[in-house]
Amino acid sequence: MLRRGQDTIEAVRIAVGAIRANTARGVLTTLGIVIGVLGVITTMTAANGLANNFRESVSALGTDVVYVSRMPWIMRGNFFDFRNRPPVSLREVERLASRLPSAAAINPTTHTQRNVKYASETIDNVDVIGTTDKQMLVSTSVPEAGRFLTPFDVQANRRVCVIGSEIRTRLFAGADPLNKEMKIGRATFRVIGVMEKQGSAGFFGGPDFDSQVFVPITTFAKTFGGAQRNIDIAVKAPPAMTVADFEYEVVGEMRKVRKLAPGEKDDFSINKMDSLLEMFNNVMGVVLLIGIVITGISLFVGGVGVMNIMFVSVTERTREIGIRKALGARKRAILVQFLFESAAICLIGGLMGLLLAVGVTEIINRMLMPASISPGIVVVALLVSSLTGVAAGVVPAYRASRLDPIDALRYE
Amino acid sequence: MTAAAAPQIHALAPAALALHDVVKTYDLEGILVQALRGVSFSVAHNEYVAIMGPSGSGKSTMMNLIGCLDVPTSGRYLIDGVDVSGLDDDALADIRNRKIGFVFQTFNLIPRADVFKNVELPLVYAGIHSAKRRRLAEEAIEKVGLTDRMRHKPNELSGGQRQRVAIARALVNNPAILLADEPTGNLDTRTGEEILEVFDQLHAAGNTIIMVTHEDDVARRARRIVRLRDGLMESDLPTSEDRARSPLAPPPASRLPAASDAAGSTLAAAAGA
Repeated sequence: MLRRGQDTIEAVRIAVGAIRANTARGVLTTLGIVIGVLGVITTMTAANGLANNFRESVSALGTDVVYVSRMPWIMRGNFFDFRNRPPVSLREVERLASRLPSAAAINPTTHTQRNVKYASETIDNVDVIGTTDKQMLVSTSVPEAGRFLTPFDVQANRRVCVIGSEIRTRLFAGADPLNKEMKIGRATFRVIGVMEKQGSAGFFGGPDFDSQVFVPITTFAKTFGGAQRNIDIAVKAPPAMTVADFEYEVVGEMRKVRKLAPGEKDDFSINKMDSLLEMFNNVMGVVLLIGIVITGISLFVGGVGVMNIMFVSVTERTREIGIRKALGARKRAILVQFLFESAAICLIGGLMGLLLAVGVTEIINRMLMPASISPGIVVVALLVSSLTGVAAGVVPAYRASRLDPIDALRYE
Repeated sequence: MTAAAAPQIHALAPAALALHDVVKTYDLEGILVQALRGVSFSVAHNEYVAIMGPSGSGKSTMMNLIGCLDVPTSGRYLIDGVDVSGLDDDALADIRNRKIGFVFQTFNLIPRADVFKNVELPLVYAGIHSAKRRRLAEEAIEKVGLTDRMRHKPNELSGGQRQRVAIARALVNNPAILLADEPTGNLDTRTGEEILEVFDQLHAAGNTIIMVTHEDDVARRARRIVRLRDGLMESDLPTSEDRARSPLAPPPASRLPAASDAAGSTLAAAAGA
């Protein structure tokens, strides 16, 4: 045991000494490893950041809510199968609601795009959403200032609106928007609340929750014309029921509302946060795969470089190996010595890659989205780099350990 | 021939090493070359033996076998009573580590390591913990008078100093045999003499020394000379008789006073000279 421990300590000392003796060569050699580790960390950090960002923003949709809509959020198959579907009307919402007394909440929404204006600021094509007070029950998103719509706002067709945080920033530029009158299209609305920041899912073509304006659905219909407009129905599952079971019930009731015969296909779609997440995960999977392939290639190239330099190192130090063997070094001691050296070179490369990755992450953080390197990723990156080193060192180290001491001592 | 009597004299003492009919054959691209063709001799503890012979005599092969860097093709080789003929590489490494101290013609110090680390190295491979390593290495370095050079790298030392580092390294594990291969070959005459005086001291202190050389006046410092020729033992004689046989030998008186002077002084003093 002692012997093994001594071997290891000695191997580390020799490795450090050997690398210090050839710093420039070592640094150049590790370039591939540096880039590889930078790749590992950046890919994983970016993926994590995107995933967190996305989950946070879509979580506003609620995990226990199913959306009954004319179209699926993610279109698969032939578009012409979908385009002839009838829109969901307000009357259908009422019928569905009466058939689903167990639902925790039902909230109809409809939307359009209008330019919004306050003072001299204008934002084009903002999502304007007609909704009701029930939105607070189906969504986790809450106002950060003021209040959301009340039942009274909806019943009385009041011209009030709640704006997303991005709208406040861009339209009101620091001023307090509450009780200010703003233009939505040609109509004037009073701002009664500002939603808290959600983070954007806009990267993936998802809705930008922070750039929305909410108005009562009744006012919406009067102001922007609503008779033929398609409606999305958010239905929240009762607490005792799983979303999957509830979805089944919702589909059944909606088919009855639509009076579909048993053999007919649904002429509406059920959407869930899950399906967005699924899409996101598919996209993310591809991104990660590309990242891993690139990382793998650079680690491989880096590993080959390190292997090459280890062959050089073994050849240069043939005589030293002979001396060590003459003095009683076993094969294992020589093997371990060179494996450690190779692993240490790669670990240094890994640490440099880590430092660069910290910088890159900081840039991502400032310019794109919140991102941070997790301790797990650091461990993985350093483990991967030292394992690359061990793998790259195996053949040269084995060759060194098998050298004949007589030949090695004679080597010039 | 008196050579036959010599092994019997030493057989009375416990042998530091013993070769029995040792044969070493090399296969050079299908041609079998017999480097040693059946050599037997033994060396008792605290003997000082020179192995001589012209090139091609099997001298280097003998040195490699004695140093356990190689194993005989046939015959037996016992070191300190242990038969090493059939051992594998790792077992041989352990024997080298514990039983043999090498001193090479080209010093063979590790260039990046300082004096202390070079001397410490056999102890590292012996698995000795660092406090004891430090003590033993410092003792060995003190024996060769290089305590003040402990943290110097080999390239900061003179040839004689480097060879003394090598000697300290050879001694540090308290080996059964000190095996020197042309230890003065890369040194000038005066420095070579210093090193030979160190060997004299070590012999006087009880060490067993085997020195491979092709120089008669170096070999003559030993107490016994084994001569090889064409893979066979040509002679094995006490130095006095060997010299008497040799027409080229310098007069015996020329060296003896120097050797006895050195024996009177300490090793450290000799090293500092």
